[in-house]
Amino acid sequence: MADTAAIRALRTMDLIPFILENPGISTHELALRFSVTQKQIEDDLSLVFLCGLPGYTPYELIDLTFEDGVVSVIDPQVLDRPRKFSNSELVVIKLGLQVLREIHADQPTKLAKIDKLFTKIFSDFDQIPFVSKNVMSSSPFYADISKAIYQRRGLKIQYQSISKDAVTERVIVPQGITVLNGNLYLHSFDLPTKEERTFRLDLINKCELSEKILEEFSLQNSKELMVELWVDQEMLNFIERNSSIIEEQIKVDNGFKVILKVSNLEWITRAVLSHAPYIKVISPTSLSSEVNERIERLLENYAFFARN
Amino acid sequence: MSNQKTERLINLTLALLASKRYLTKSEIFNTVAGYQGSLETIERMFERDKDELRGLGIDIEVKGIDPLFEDEQGYLIQEDSFQIKPDAFSKEEVLYLTMAANLWHGSALHNQAKSALLKIQSLNGPTETDDVNLPVIKSTFDSDQLAVIFEAMRNHNILEFTYKGELRRVKPYGLYTRDGFWYLVGEEHDLLKNFKLIRITKSLVIASKSGAFTKPESFDLNKFIQDSQSSERYQAILMVKKNQALDLRKKFPVTDIDDEWDQMSCSYSYEEEFIQSVLWHGSNVVILSPENLQKKLIAKCRQLING
Repeated sequence: MADTAAIRALRTMDLIPFILENPGISTHELALRFSVTQKQIEDDLSLVFLCGLPGYTPYELIDLTFEDGVVSVIDPQVLDRPRKFSNSELVVIKLGLQVLREIHADQPTKLAKIDKLFTKIFSDFDQIPFVSKNVMSSSPFYADISKAIYQRRGLKIQYQSISKDAVTERVIVPQGITVLNGNLYLHSFDLPTKEERTFRLDLINKCELSEKILEEFSLQNSKELMVELWVDQEMLNFIERNSSIIEEQIKVDNGFKVILKVSNLEWITRAVLSHAPYIKVISPTSLSSEVNERIERLLENYAFFARN
Repeated sequence: MSNQKTERLINLTLALLASKRYLTKSEIFNTVAGYQGSLETIERMFERDKDELRGLGIDIEVKGIDPLFEDEQGYLIQEDSFQIKPDAFSKEEVLYLTMAANLWHGSALHNQAKSALLKIQSLNGPTETDDVNLPVIKSTFDSDQLAVIFEAMRNHNILEFTYKGELRRVKPYGLYTRDGFWYLVGEEHDLLKNFKLIRITKSLVIASKSGAFTKPESFDLNKFIQDSQSSERYQAILMVKKNQALDLRKKFPVTDIDDEWDQMSCSYSYEEEFIQSVLWHGSNVVILSPENLQKKLIAKCRQLING
């Protein structure tokens, strides 16, 4: 659907301070930044030549140069600064600053600066009742990990694996950090196996930055297993938290049949066990056998403690 | 036609923004380019222009400007309500703002983040450092829904959506995030309720005109969230195999029992969650007390293996 005249007017007014701060920017780049076509940007800019302050003499019109696909602003009139942030933009900034605050929780100087900025922006931001109750664990190694990603260096880490319930040493090449379900995750290549691995940042106990800059290397495909489960409708949380690995989801009478692409067999075994009896394995049978064996061992323990 | 209207809207905004005093309608019609035609036509044109600009968040102030003639009104856009103040942010603050907005790259809030970034980059040009591109927030929620909820909260519109298989009509009061998920707090049938946004299965629409309800002054979002959480803590005693259940060992103290087992004293708020965290460790963790919790866990396990 074509933009309304008002939306186009706002975009055109937003273009002026942006070009003022980014002189010599191409219309191609502007089109990418403003998510419209290059032709639309050119049409918007053509319109600007005719706009300005009452009087509309050459001294009162917005003045810009537009040549060979490159634009600069000579006189923005009153449009020399960006519009104030909208409410939805403020929500994004507020949430983002809260994440940054948690990431830098152990760095008092940065924390103080973020808090000052937070107060500056949000002292009068009560129009939309919105709060963030995410509790994200920070990591003292965030700066090192960040440096390793940017400089393409390796990391030697000591990791407490929740699925294996063990502490292991890993040599990895970190690729990126994501925030998912309120936790920070590090996506990496595991150097010995050349497979992709994901680590929760707050479970990294030690971290050592390698001096060596790493060359390109080929990645082996991780071994992935398709697992079909029945999930009770009361366990929607399980589906929501793992939506990124769910390949298929079908509603059945009292729940859902889901197919997950799983690379960590230990994780899915424990996940099914911990949600008993609300998640059941449909296939593979080897997984349901493993879950059943663990339950048998667990019940034996309860019988043992009952006897003693 | 569209070009003419866009031009007129820009010129009207610039005129009201540049003026140091409230402009009367006749001043606007005589000086702002684009207002042509009969008086009735340009009056209608002006009313529509004002409404459209206000609808997009531009605050056009109106004020009676002549004490003798009450119907003589003036119009103005205050600089502070329209633009970010000059030198509002230091270079370092602009960097933090860039990082805060960049976190949402590729996520459900990508569009809102992108428009915020355009404004931030209009403050201080492009900002690039090794920190700025990290990390990225992943979420699966549909940002268009979030935009509709923001609009409904701002304008006091009733929302309609399908939730747990039923069509719901809700007065939206507030929004919060917890553990990466979004929740809407709203009134339905005189009761305050939580709605997890990922569970809204059919399209969410605005189902009333603006101002359809008044939010009670006593509503406090933080208090509502706090009240809806359990503050009670219960105690449990566990047996934990040596060198196992490392995550539980980080949280709770243990006492040495024998070569195979330690005893752990724990507290919890939610029974289901606690049973899940014990079952995660399989045969390495056993609930000793309370007895009813132990019985529940055993019953769950028997139910799973017996189908």
